[in-house]
Amino acid sequence: MKRIITSVGNWFEARLRLKPSVMPLLEHPIPAGAAGPKGWWYVFGSASMTLLFLQIATGIGLALVYVPSADQAYQSLEHLNYRQPFGWFLRSVHYWSGSGMVVMVVIHMTQVFLHGAYKYPRELTWVFGVCLLLLTLGMAFTGQVLRWDADAYWGVGVGASMAGRVPVGGPAVVELLLGGPTIGASTLSRFFALHVFIIPGLLLALVGGHLWLVMTRGISEPPVPGQPVDPKTYDAKYHEELKKGKPFLGDAMTKDGLFSAVVVLVVVALAAVIGPKGPNGLPDPTLTGANPRPDWPFLWLFGLLSLSPAGLETFVMLAFPVVLVIGLLLVPFISNRGERAPSRRPVAVLIVLVGGTTLAVLTYEGMTSPWSPRMSGWSGDPVPVAMVKRSSPLELQGAAVFQLKDCRNCHALDGLGGKRGPDLSSVGARLTRDQLIDQINNGTPGGGNMPAYGKHVRPAEMDAMVAFLVSLRPPGQPPARIATVPAPKK
Amino acid sequence: MTARFVRPVVLLALAAAGCNPPGKPAPKTIPDRPDALVDFNVLYATHCAGCHGADGTLGPAPPLNDPLFLRIVPDAELVKVLTDGRPGTPMAPFAQAKGGPLTAAQVKVLADGLKTKWGAPPTSAAPDVPAYALTGKGDVENGRMAFAMACASCHGDKGQGGKTGDQPVGAINDPAYLALSSNQVLRRYVITGRADLGMPNYAGKTGRPHNFSALTEQDVADLTALLNSWRSPATK
Amino acid sequence: MSEPTPTPPQPTDAPAPEPDRRSALLWVTGGLGAAAAAAVGVPVAGFLAGAVRARPVDWVPLGKIADAAVFPPNETRLHVFRNPIHEEWDGDSAKTGAYVRYLGKDESGKDQFWVFSMICAHLGCPVTWFPQSGLFMCPCHGGVYYENGDRASGPPPRGLYKMPWRVTDGVLEVQAPHLPTLQDTLEKPSKIVELGVIKRDRTGGRA
Repeated sequence: MKRIITSVGNWFEARLRLKPSVMPLLEHPIPAGAAGPKGWWYVFGSASMTLLFLQIATGIGLALVYVPSADQAYQSLEHLNYRQPFGWFLRSVHYWSGSGMVVMVVIHMTQVFLHGAYKYPRELTWVFGVCLLLLTLGMAFTGQVLRWDADAYWGVGVGASMAGRVPVGGPAVVELLLGGPTIGASTLSRFFALHVFIIPGLLLALVGGHLWLVMTRGISEPPVPGQPVDPKTYDAKYHEELKKGKPFLGDAMTKDGLFSAVVVLVVVALAAVIGPKGPNGLPDPTLTGANPRPDWPFLWLFGLLSLSPAGLETFVMLAFPVVLVIGLLLVPFISNRGERAPSRRPVAVLIVLVGGTTLAVLTYEGMTSPWSPRMSGWSGDPVPVAMVKRSSPLELQGAAVFQLKDCRNCHALDGLGGKRGPDLSSVGARLTRDQLIDQINNGTPGGGNMPAYGKHVRPAEMDAMVAFLVSLRPPGQPPARIATVPAPKK
Repeated sequence: MTARFVRPVVLLALAAAGCNPPGKPAPKTIPDRPDALVDFNVLYATHCAGCHGADGTLGPAPPLNDPLFLRIVPDAELVKVLTDGRPGTPMAPFAQAKGGPLTAAQVKVLADGLKTKWGAPPTSAAPDVPAYALTGKGDVENGRMAFAMACASCHGDKGQGGKTGDQPVGAINDPAYLALSSNQVLRRYVITGRADLGMPNYAGKTGRPHNFSALTEQDVADLTALLNSWRSPATK
Repeated sequence: MSEPTPTPPQPTDAPAPEPDRRSALLWVTGGLGAAAAAAVGVPVAGFLAGAVRARPVDWVPLGKIADAAVFPPNETRLHVFRNPIHEEWDGDSAKTGAYVRYLGKDESGKDQFWVFSMICAHLGCPVTWFPQSGLFMCPCHGGVYYENGDRASGPPPRGLYKMPWRVTDGVLEVQAPHLPTLQDTLEKPSKIVELGVIKRDRTGGRA
């Protein structure tokens, strides 16, 4: 048996001549440090690539069934979810593996940044890496669009609206993005081509380039404090280091393989336990009650767009991403030499901490989106029972008016309701009757957060609603009053 | 040899396809189109619970989880109020034909569902419950007498408010309160009370004088007329 | 990588081509190559440009103004219609909506309307109308508009997009909308886009 395999193998090797070309690649020496325990820092890049191959495999599988047509995409996704054996699982793995890829690429990049591995002579490797990050995010966005549901439809709308703000040429960019004047069939076909041909092609080409650079310039040795990079002497030093090096085919490759296997198992477990995402809601733009949210890799942007001050908004949308990308691309050129160890590079550590925290906070904000009105708050969020129980007939009517006028869409009572405006559970202790009337009638001065309701609240409704609001106080606390003005007589 | 390897793989695949990991999407229970949603509980929780309370009681608006109310209110009236709302009161029109969110079919589901879910079995019907509909044949002076007997102990002799035990009772003789209340809802409260807030119905004796006897059809009409007479001239 | 590729050894028995013959061959190769590139490139470029669909100017009837069930006076209603700017295989995504309010007749006896796009002026999400408070609210970033379309609060930089409308034989018609964006509104479409696209009627013929 073994003899047959060997001889078949020899027959192919005699013709393919793989050993002399492939073996040196696999056995190329890497710095001894990178093959030791510190080698665990080096596993994230190969894990990203493993997930990329998993994406290709599951993606091809999905493409066998998915219909990239605006009128049937949704049904074909439902077919995958409910009828095709393992269809849901393939969708699920594709979603979680894609998410994992974003995570791995970001971790890989952070590690390279913290260890100063982008410094001479690996600037181009970093630049390719930044492009790979952008392409990975491009896959995430286009993939979200292929899930042709309400989120996908409005996600394209938001993207187009942002592109539409590009000075002068914006409208042309929008048409190019949508493949026409509206979001529709051409848009989906376009994003399908991007997701399945164009971006993956670029991604694979750049991965090839990235690997080529890793091979030619070698991977960086683990950073040692007090051993700064000097482009004049680095090459010779690295050459010396490699003489003591270990072949990649060995401990290093085993670590890569082991970590990749763990990552794939985690992805599969998430896929099996949590399941695929969506499709959520038909891509019908006229259905009311849509509540579009981007996939998680873009929640930070969703948060940023809601929280940025109006005057800066177009800048935040258009210039900020460009600045960010240019900044990333310039990293190895700004800091091309010097210390690599994080312990000697406080600024780099600070950038990672601040950047990471900012992204985490914005993502959390995007997830909770307190700025969004609760569209069914007025009719679906009950008035807290304790408030009803202690209310007079007038205050009860006021509570009903409070619901009717959609106040609940933005204002919570006892934590339930919209979060855009303040929770009003104890507003009676903060604002006087007159202040409440003024606020409701005129809204926040200067076109602020609260609209003016003057025209839509009749005097009796105002009386009742304000009576209710004044009654919202912690037990025993008197109504709010302004010292200089006598408390209004009721 | 092939069979030895293929069979376990096939069996494993079949086993995996047969088992249901938690991530496998469950069959959809909510239709794709909001218009097609006809589950009473979901519709109620989305469109009614805000004012009428999560289980139909203890909301600011009249309780719907009230067997007495559901016994006397005609089906057509429920459909009509859901469709058109009650203009002038905090009850909004909910039918799409009137600019609301619900289809006619969904309005029907809600109207029917109220009675199915919270209505009392017909056996408990008492023969002498006053009718739901307004009659318009009330007498204010008689109403005053009925008020003194049936209502004044809690609401004060002129409806200015009072106390039940140590619990304050707010005024009902209040221009804004009355301006936001239809005569129909006033009549309804006279008949059904508000069990969830401790207000007795037309026959309840809690908090009422010993010699109180259940309100008659005429009493209810008179009381409604009295309450209506308290409205400020502008809103009458 | 920078080393020049070694030239293959010249067959010794063949005479070396004369210099002018070789350069002529190069010219011919270059010329044919350019012709081949153009023969393929021009249609492909045309194809890519044509993938951007033309914007037909088309009007959609929404209903008879006299019908109070369709246009109740001073009440805002969502009118859903299939956008004439669509492909056969657009499915549900070809649907679009307009918030219409009939304002009655003005002094000169002409019917007046407010007609707004559902698309939020901030980032293009769908706004919902709340009749009791007279507000349009956007679910994405919390933009709010008054009933007359003016911005009330939140991030939108302007009011709702107004849709061009006209009355023909007592029927309200709205212009088929493209996706409105800040520089390419429905009332004032972008010149940039008009430059690149041949304006044509849906039927194809008229300009």
